[in-house]
Order: sequence, then structure tokens, then C-alpha cells
Amino acid sequence: MDIITTQLDLIQRFLHAGGSVLWFILLVSVGLWCLIIERLLFFRFSYPQLREHWLGLWRQRSDKRSQHARHIRTGIISEAQITMSKNIAVIKMLVSICPLMGLLGTVTGMIHVFDVMAVTGSGNARAMADGVSQATIPTMAGMVIAIAGLYFSKLIEERVSDETHHLSDLLQNH
Amino acid sequence: MKKLILITLMLATPAAIAEHLDLDQLLRDVKRSQGTEARINRVREAEFLAEKNKQQQLLHEAQVELNQQQQLSQQLKSHLDANEQELMELEAKLKNRSGELGELFGVARQAAGDLKADLTNSIISAQFPGRLEQLDKIANSKALPTIEQLEKLWFTLQQEMTESAKVVSFDTKIQTASGEPRQAKVVRIGSFNALADGKYLRYLSETGKLSELARQPEDKYLDLAENLLTAKQGPVPVGIDPTRGVILSMLIQTPNTTERIDQGGIIGYIILFLGAFGLVYAIVRLVMLTLTWRKMQNQVGSDQISEDNPLGRVIAAGEQAGSEDNETLELLLDEAITREVPALEKGQSMIKLLAAVAPLLGLLGTVTGMISTFQSISLFGTGDPKLMASGISQALVTTMLGLCVAIPLLFLHSLVASRSRMLVQILDEQSAGIVSRRAGK
Repeated sequence: MDIITTQLDLIQRFLHAGGSVLWFILLVSVGLWCLIIERLLFFRFSYPQLREHWLGLWRQRSDKRSQHARHIRTGIISEAQITMSKNIAVIKMLVSICPLMGLLGTVTGMIHVFDVMAVTGSGNARAMADGVSQATIPTMAGMVIAIAGLYFSKLIEERVSDETHHLSDLLQNH
Repeated sequence: MKKLILITLMLATPAAIAEHLDLDQLLRDVKRSQGTEARINRVREAEFLAEKNKQQQLLHEAQVELNQQQQLSQQLKSHLDANEQELMELEAKLKNRSGELGELFGVARQAAGDLKADLTNSIISAQFPGRLEQLDKIANSKALPTIEQLEKLWFTLQQEMTESAKVVSFDTKIQTASGEPRQAKVVRIGSFNALADGKYLRYLSETGKLSELARQPEDKYLDLAENLLTAKQGPVPVGIDPTRGVILSMLIQTPNTTERIDQGGIIGYIILFLGAFGLVYAIVRLVMLTLTWRKMQNQVGSDQISEDNPLGRVIAAGEQAGSEDNETLELLLDEAITREVPALEKGQSMIKLLAAVAPLLGLLGTVTGMISTFQSISLFGTGDPKLMASGISQALVTTMLGLCVAIPLLFLHSLVASRSRMLVQILDEQSAGIVSRRAGK
């Protein structure tokens, strides 16, 4: 319990040092990770069942060679692709927003620094430290989240492309 | 003499006869007056001689007098010397005896001066007015301070010390932010802060009054202040300003949101205008796409073909084909979909353009701001950061505004794009379904 409160306190202090922009970055990162986890869980649990369902649809057909059958096949593959790549656009958008938010944090932090400078002059480095931390922490946070998010979004895209190929192979062979 | 006589004769010539008898008379007169003068001279001589003797005597007397006076002078001088000697001894004695005390009074005077300077800016003075006058007397008087004054100084010092460790509440008159006086219950936290009605006050040393800050700290600190005012006992968290008002006075100077936006200048307003336009446009597009999507869902569910939505129109185009063969049907459907797609994808590029332009305008503002900064540097040098402040804040604020506009627009663009792609996808799927259904017949 004690450890949890200490950790919460640390997090709160970190958020406070980063200024208000860090809250938005936190929001974006929570949204991003929810979507990424949702996709990973989808591939882990829901996708095998869906694949069986699509394969079943194809297997039931007696005619697999006519033009009509090709349409059906294209329809199935397209549906699978849509289901798999759901939310990927949002994930990519959130990943690209993160560095922008970091930059926004840098700018607001620098504004803070110059406010302090306008009051105390340029001699007092300690008074400027707050603004500098407000400038650097969101940038760092935005970068970290963007890099991690980029990795996972690429991973999911690869998975979608792989699964699409695999599915079309399976549909061909049957 | 001959000449004289001659002149006398010549002058006398007209009257010589009348006056020749007077010449003898004149001779006799002269002779007689010579005798008189000799007698007078003798008398004078005698007088002078007598006088001379008298003077001698006077001189003698004066000399005696001088001697006496000189003696007296000598006596007095020795007396003076003796007195001076005594005075010096006494002074040395005085100095000896009062040496440490004199220093003490000097220290007391200095302490009073220092304390006065401290108390002038101390928030505790708001609670105890009239302390400064007492100190003023001690600090500025030339005379030695009295016991009473010294005790007062000690008391004031002790009071300041003791009071700076206390959190107390007292009633006093404060000035509101608009400058009107009002009675309020003030809570003073040591010598750091004073709060009234959950608001932070500052101490005006000129008037000795407390005044509400025109701009208050963040809500979370004000909530803490409220808690402190209502708390009865126990430790209560509260935000204090350990700089005795410097941070709070900085708070007043920092610009608020509208002033901040003003700093961005004309470029800032352009960015905001574009941002507002983009936001409204994107939301309108989103709402329209959602409505279209709902109509299409209805269309999927019903057998009735309604022409008010893209899917209905595509299906209607398929129905019109009648008994054409599949390939023609496919072409017709493709054509119908191609007609519908631009309406669904309308505006996307506009939103994306605005999202891309906003940071660029921010960059433009940065550059113009830096140009004005460097202009002021070339005029005034780098000595005063305040002269450069306007250019720098313009540079930073426009960048900030650009990003603030771009981020939501990117977000909205992504939403609009994914929604319209979904609609196009539905059209494609449904048309394929129509074709298949026909083929299945």
C-alpha cells in the first residue's frame, strides 16, 4: 500500500513538473495503448474464430472457380482486412500526434521560461528551471510514447498484412 | 633785505608821508612782542619740564601695573592648564566607564533601523499597526535611547519572531481587487502569506494594508486555502509562498490567455481563424458523414430503395440495369460508386491542408518574431532581456498556436477519413453483394 502511494506521488510530481501539456500526452498515451492492446487481444482471441468463420463460408460453397465465386472471395478477404485493420489509422494518427504534443510542451515551457526571465532577469537560473523542466519533460514523454507506439503500430500492420496473405492462400487452396 | 626794503619803499611811496611815524611804532611793537614771546616760551619750557617728570612717573606706574598683570596671566594660564589636564583625565575616565555602553546604544540604534526595514515589508505589520513609529524614534534620535525604548525594541523583535511561527486569524480591513475596502477575517501564515475568503492577499507596505491579489493562483491552491480557513484543528495542507510575495507578484505579471494570444500578433490571429474554420468544417463533415452512415444502415436493413443516400442510389442504379449481363451490371455499379465517392471524400484534403498549414504559419510567426528580436538587439544590445521579450513571445506563441490548431485538426482529419473510407467500403461491399445476388439467381 505504501509503495503504491509513493509511486502515485512520484507520478503526480512528474506530471506536475511537466505542466499541463503532459496531461494531454498522458491522455493520448492511454488512448493509444488501449487501442494497441485491443488489437493485440483481437489477434490473440477473436481472430482465430473469425478466420474459421470465413473459411467455413468458403468451404460451404460448391462452386469455387466461377467469376461469382471470385467476387465472394474478394468480398471475404476485404471484410477480413477491414476487420483486422480497424483502428490502425487512429493508432497511427495518435503516434504522429505524440511528438507534436511534445513540441507543444517545449514551446509552452519556453514561454514560461521567458515569462520568468521578464520578471527576474536572465541571472536567476534556478527560477527558470521550472520552465525548462516543463519544456523538456513533455518532449521526452512524447518521444518515448511515439517510438513505442510506432513499434507496435508497425507490428500490427505487419500482422494484418501477413494474416491477409495467409487467409487468401487458405481460400485459394480450398 | 635790500630788495625787501626797496619793495617796501616803493609800496610805501604813495603813503610815505602819512605813515613814516608808524614805522617807529612798528619797531617798538616788534621789540615788545619779542620780549613777550620769550616769556611765554620760558613758561612753556617750565611746563614741559614739569610734564616730563610726570610722564616718567606714569611710565613707572604702568610698568609696575604690567608686571602685576603678567604675574596674574601666568597664574591664570597655569590654572587653565591644570583644568584642561583635569578635563582630559575626566573624559578619559568617562570614556573608560561608558565605552561598552556607547557601543551598545549604537547597536540598538542599528538594530532598530534594520528591524524597521524588515517590518515595513513584513505581513505581520498588518496585524499590529503602529510598530514602526516607535522604532523610528530609536533609529533617528541623537540622544541616548531610554530604558523604555530599549524594552520596546526588544519586545518588537521578540514579537516578530514569535508571530512568524504562528498561524492566526484576525479581523481587519482589506482592499478588494477592485480597490474597495471591506472588513474580512484574515488568516495569516507566519510571515509568508495572508488569506481571506480563500483568496491570497498581499501586503502593501506603503499603506500598511492587505489587498487581494488581482490574479489568484491555480484552483488547487485556492481549494487548499479554503480548507485552511474552515479547518478547526490538526495539520492542514496549504500552499505558501516562501519568497514573501515575490512569486505571487510574478503571478500578477504573467499574462492570461487572451493577453497571451494577443502576443502572437496578426499571424496568431490568422492561425486561430484558420483553426476555427477547419474545426467547424471538420465537425460539419463528420456530422454529415454520420447522418449518411445512419441512412445507409437503414437502407441495408430495408427492402425499400430510397434515393436520399449513396447506397440507395447505387442500388437503384443496379436495379435500373434490369436484365443486363453481369459485366454490364458491374460497370454500372462501379460508375454509380465513382459518382458517390467524391461527395463522401469531400473536404478531407481541405482539413489536411489546414492541419499542415497551421504549423507552417507558426514557423512563419517564429521567424518574424526572431527578426523583431534581432532588430531590438541591434538597437539596444543584449543587456535587457525585457526589450527582447515581445519578439520572443511572438515567436513562441505563434508556434504554440500553430501546434494547438494542428493537433485537433489532424485528429479530426483522421476521424473524417476513416469514416468516409468506411462508407466507401460499405458501398463496394454492398455492390458486390448485389452482383452476387443477381448472379445467384
